[in-house]
Amino acid sequence: MTGIDVQRFGAISGLAVTALAGATLIGGCVDQANGGGAGSRDQITAVGSSTVYPFTTMIAEQLVANDPDAKAPVIESTGTGAGMKLFCAGIGAGHPDIEDASRRMKASEYKDCAANGAGQILEIQVGIDGIAFAEAKNGPKMQLTPTDLYKALAASPGGRPNTARVWRDVNPALPPVPIQVYGPPATSGTRDALAELILTKGCEASDPAAKPLAKSDPDAHKALCTRVREDGMYVDAGENDNLIVQKLQSNPNAIGVFGYSYLEENKNDVNGVAISGVQPTYATIADNRYPGSRPLYIYVKKAHLSAIPGLRTFLKLYAANWSATGPLVKRGLIAAPPAVQARSAAIIANETILDPAVLS
Amino acid sequence: MNSVTPFIGTPDATASAKPATARVPTDWTTKAMQSRIRRRYAAERRFRLAGLAAVWLSAGFLAFLLSSMLWQGASGFVETRVALPIDFAAAALPIEPARLTSRGADLALASAGLEGAVDSAATRAFGKDGEGLLSDGAWVTVRDALKADPGLLSRKTVIAVPVASPVDMAAKGDGPPEAEAVVARLKARGVLTRGLSMTFLTTADSTDATRVGIWGAFKGSLLTMIVTLLLAFPIGVLSALYLEEYAPKNRWTDLIEVSINNLAAVPSIIFGLLGLAVFLGTFGMPRSAPLVGGLTLALMTMPVIVIAGRNAIKAVPPSIRDAALGIGASPVQVVFHHVLPLALPGILTGTIIGMARALGETAPLLMIGMRAFIAAPPSGLRDPATVLPVQIFLWSDQVSRGFIEKTSAAIIVLLVFLLAMNGVAIYLRNKFETRW
Repeated sequence: MTGIDVQRFGAISGLAVTALAGATLIGGCVDQANGGGAGSRDQITAVGSSTVYPFTTMIAEQLVANDPDAKAPVIESTGTGAGMKLFCAGIGAGHPDIEDASRRMKASEYKDCAANGAGQILEIQVGIDGIAFAEAKNGPKMQLTPTDLYKALAASPGGRPNTARVWRDVNPALPPVPIQVYGPPATSGTRDALAELILTKGCEASDPAAKPLAKSDPDAHKALCTRVREDGMYVDAGENDNLIVQKLQSNPNAIGVFGYSYLEENKNDVNGVAISGVQPTYATIADNRYPGSRPLYIYVKKAHLSAIPGLRTFLKLYAANWSATGPLVKRGLIAAPPAVQARSAAIIANETILDPAVLS
Repeated sequence: MNSVTPFIGTPDATASAKPATARVPTDWTTKAMQSRIRRRYAAERRFRLAGLAAVWLSAGFLAFLLSSMLWQGASGFVETRVALPIDFAAAALPIEPARLTSRGADLALASAGLEGAVDSAATRAFGKDGEGLLSDGAWVTVRDALKADPGLLSRKTVIAVPVASPVDMAAKGDGPPEAEAVVARLKARGVLTRGLSMTFLTTADSTDATRVGIWGAFKGSLLTMIVTLLLAFPIGVLSALYLEEYAPKNRWTDLIEVSINNLAAVPSIIFGLLGLAVFLGTFGMPRSAPLVGGLTLALMTMPVIVIAGRNAIKAVPPSIRDAALGIGASPVQVVFHHVLPLALPGILTGTIIGMARALGETAPLLMIGMRAFIAAPPSGLRDPATVLPVQIFLWSDQVSRGFIEKTSAAIIVLLVFLLAMNGVAIYLRNKFETRW
């Protein structure tokens, strides 16, 4: 027994010593982190929209491919709203440099940024995206208008609780197919675009009282026009747009809402749904004929441009890739009109900061 | 049930009711008795069959899961390459061969327009859509070939480069129709080859399915697990030892015991929120770092180790302690010479369970930002990284269809990692196991 025990004790104490040494080592690291966590950072960090994510990651990848000594940027897909919160929490190494946004920054968000010392921001429009409505290949070939969608999806169209159960309830010309829409959650920029570009349009078209309400009582306008029903007809599918595509394939009656790039990538499995008779295609979104087209932005903190190595190069790379024949377009981005591109390029070159007066 | 009761009860009951008559031996041959016996055996058989069916069902699920993963994922380790003839002499890249061996070679080649040269070579070799045939990373393969042999710069050569994702999928039998046609054409020319994708095994995340690698996430998982183990194991074992061997039994230790049991049952996302608030918020540690991930997971794993450790220590016979104390060992000697070695197999079992859970954990790591796109493997504990399960989650969310097989391949890597980790722990456990 003793012989074995002595041997075993050796092994155990060895184990214990290594473990303890490791623990102290980590303790050391922690202390270091405490001291230097907010100090410096040598890689770019970006947060925000899942729609802009594929484009920003592509630029990040190019940055590393072109210069292997550069630290790989860290890109997180958090959704525009959650990203804005992280982005506006302050300046310094602990806060992200870039916010990917699938809608414009709100005035309230800017106020938040400014209050935390991050008021100097470059606003760069990188391109356009369309929010596309799609159905399965064997779907009922819907033809919708913003008004139909508003009446089908709003929580209280015209001020009364929404009772529509099939599409025929909202428009007699539509088939008696149950209303089932899979879309993004409330924190998503895509959802904001749905509210702003489609629901508000449908609301103001169907209810003449809605338009003046936007000025006199914005909250009432919001409740009337953009609040989405919560009785299970609109299904919040999370930030996972692939999941929506899968749901559409298994349920031919459902309609999905996601960024155009997903429609483009999955055009073998799903069809676009025409809105007001216009199919979502590259051409119709680029020239703004499709009602669901919206600008995509990145926001960059000016204070970080000099502090974070490679950030300026990163922005230049973005500008070099967003042309109509560039690699970002191959990935599903819709190029902005030349005038917008020129303006964005000028913002990068001159480091022009955003004027908060233009935000709403 | 009812049928069984008389079988046991009747003789006694009759005996007490009629004390005059002697106890009648059970007649096993009567019809009623025979049918009771048959029912008994049938119940026995039913139970055995149900148990066996349960085992087969779970084995079936496991086999289905593993085989479908292997079936879908095996092709993720393989890449399709196309032989690309490229004439560097004609391309006349503005670069000195001597610079190819220096440190700045990558940058020099990128700025010398190597990517364009590769694209035009593809167009020359495969027609005007040739550029679209190649993976976005094809030029990187060419770059590495050039760095390995700078003499190529003045020659014509043929380099096998990876093909674009749709073509790759078509070559594996599941691509869009237009890519199938391209593959048929290339196959006829005999330029397609297949091979183990070193890219997948050695690089990190990418936006292109043909360029993704698992190494970044693997290394992230490894670093995170090291931090978790180094923290959770010693602290967990020491807590268990103290609570079991030294702590007085009073209200405070009862409270601690209840808290530890509760902690072990807390959903993992709560630990993520805790990590976010404490490690990132209060201590200002870097976001997305394996260090923070490891700390968070250590909090989650520790209670499991403490509970398993206490049970194992409790199971060590008191006679061993008494004997050691009796021959003059100090309490610390008793613990380290006798109790801990005997309890170690049990402690290691708890550690295996805790670590396996930590390895597969996603939710708390999402909260502390370990779900970012990072195109390079982490080089230290404080570098941003992601871990295998989060990488799987991220890839399953990708637009491009080529990611499906890569997701399955990543799952295979995760399972292999898990098996390897458990294998080591089981080896250690058996090494220390004692029977008495």
